[in-house]
Amino acid sequence: MLKKSWIIFMRDFKVNLRDFLALYLLLIPLIFALGINLLAPSINDTTINLGMIAGENSDQAAYFSQYAKVEVFSNQEDLDARIMRRDDFFGIVAEGGEYYVLKQGNENEGVVDYAKVLLTFYEQDVQLEETNAEIFDLGRTVPPMKKLLVNGGILFISVLGGMMITFNIVEEKVDRTIRAILLTPISRRGFIVGKSMMGVFLTLYGTIAMILITGFGNVNLLQLLTVVLLASIISILVGFIQGVRNDDVINAAANLKLLFLPLVGAIAGAELLSDKWQILLYWIPFYWAYKGNDAVLTQTATWPQIGLYAGIILAISVAVYFLLAPEIKEGLE
Amino acid sequence: MIKVSNLYHSYSKDEHYAVKDVSFEVKEGEIFGFLGPSGAGKSTTQNIMTGLLQLQKGTVTVAGYDVKTISNKMFNQIGMSFEESNVYSKLSAKENLEFYRKLFDVETREPMELLRMVGLHDKADIRAGEFSKGMKHRLTFARSMINNPTLWFLDEPTTGLDPAIASEIKGIIREQNKKGVTIFLTTHNMYIADELCDRVAFIVDGEILLIDSPRNLKLQYGDKLVEVEYIKDGEIVKESFSTIQKDDLAKLQEVIGTYEIQTMHTKEATLEEIFIKVTGRELV
Ligand SMILES: Nc1ncnc2c1ncn2[C@@H]1O[C@H](COP(=O)(O)OP(=O)(O)OP(=O)(O)O)[C@@H](O)[C@H]1O
Ligand SMILES: [Mg+2]
Repeated sequence: MLKKSWIIFMRDFKVNLRDFLALYLLLIPLIFALGINLLAPSINDTTINLGMIAGENSDQAAYFSQYAKVEVFSNQEDLDARIMRRDDFFGIVAEGGEYYVLKQGNENEGVVDYAKVLLTFYEQDVQLEETNAEIFDLGRTVPPMKKLLVNGGILFISVLGGMMITFNIVEEKVDRTIRAILLTPISRRGFIVGKSMMGVFLTLYGTIAMILITGFGNVNLLQLLTVVLLASIISILVGFIQGVRNDDVINAAANLKLLFLPLVGAIAGAELLSDKWQILLYWIPFYWAYKGNDAVLTQTATWPQIGLYAGIILAISVAVYFLLAPEIKEGLE
Repeated sequence: MIKVSNLYHSYSKDEHYAVKDVSFEVKEGEIFGFLGPSGAGKSTTQNIMTGLLQLQKGTVTVAGYDVKTISNKMFNQIGMSFEESNVYSKLSAKENLEFYRKLFDVETREPMELLRMVGLHDKADIRAGEFSKGMKHRLTFARSMINNPTLWFLDEPTTGLDPAIASEIKGIIREQNKKGVTIFLTTHNMYIADELCDRVAFIVDGEILLIDSPRNLKLQYGDKLVEVEYIKDGEIVKESFSTIQKDDLAKLQEVIGTYEIQTMHTKEATLEEIFIKVTGRELV
């Protein structure tokens, strides 16, 4: 069966390379990745943000600024307010002659360690020359904006995969070729699998291109693909349903834009909503995919964590499948 | 090769049948014509036989396969030329065939050979989207032969083609039949049916009214048809009457008694005229 599905996919691929719009969709991952590189500073320039209170210890501030971005605040309230914002930001505060790391609680573990290590290094008076290796090893932080763009970009690409499927189904409908295919020994399921492959292909190739170009090539690819491929099931299903419901490409593309709403909503919500409101996003598979990708991109993901997210995404996708499958099957008769 | 018994089909899944109690048999090596006006139920019957429509009621066996539990392998043995051509616009004629042939498990024919048969060999590398309607139709027809089918469904194979090409297509059909291919031909066109078919079925409003060979039908109805030209209200009217159907006979006598007759002779009925006589319906 897979051999015949592959034949269906290769035909789609050939036709897509000939079609301006489809070709453009195929190039988007590359364009996106290059765009992110231009917009966001390189992953290796990264550092963390520290805040201190003015006049306390300028010597220490100078030391930290070798390894981190240091902001100086005039009083404790200003510093506290800054820390409470959502990104990774630490205060280095003196109390009783000792300094400690003041944090909000939602910061990334790796970054917290880094801040603590910096503080320790200062106390031990470790110099850059001696500590080079350790500091850069621990400094796994990435610019949050870049990480967000890469993560969102990868999920966006999976939606494009669905869009390609829609185009390819609309093509078959306009040319009325589905009945001709149904009168060959390929099974209906084989045909559907073949038609899905373009979505899987775009997601795979787009994800890999994206992380290689943007400098995330050293993340755990297996974890990343587990999350991304499962998240693409939703895009594929929606791609099919739009292909079945529409008879021209432009209408179909317009309807597919609806998928971007939960996608953008999930990302914005995950970033901006406080923890108690996050529950509102639990139904969106992209939300779990975004969280999973985020953990993978910061290299803090564990398999149990990825397994949990993957399981949730899969469960939602299966529910959507049972909802949409009858219409898809009927539409392809 | 085909056996259909007591087939019913309702699109609305109620008592409004598009096909009612249809039964027929197609023997191996035969060209069987399925004739009827638009909406008669020809495509419905054909689509059930090829598995495009779900069998609701009745039994259908095609090429030894029970259609109720259709096996994908069956499609290795059948070919189907669609009434509406359906080829990929964005692939060339040759690519269309190259793609399609890969989906079969049996030995397939060379695309160029098929294109030559239907006169498209010099257009092999042109995208089908740029083809005329007739050229697309020929490509669809050529594709239906790619897996060397033993049972070949042809839906209006010559409609919309110019006479020279239509006659070539007819030649191909005869040739394939000589090689032993069984053919199920659906058409409105009584002339092709007459020329090609060993037997024909007349179907109207979802019911088969008659199955016989064109020759038998003509023996039964031919010579018993009188064509009369007469003057009515200053104009020449041409009409044919059956001499065996009572009301036709009465009408003929009335015409002879009332109007001035110009010419009158018996003639062999065409299949079309026989169809009209039998079914009371025009074949449009
Ligand atoms: N998909 C459908 N849904 C509902 N009714 C249908 C459908 N297809 C056909 N019918 C109805 O079933 C009847 C038989 O149609 P069918 O297409 O079998 O006729 P046909 O003999 O093939 O006509 P034609 O010569 O025009 O192709 C018609 O009354 C038609 O309106
Ligand atoms: Mg029809």
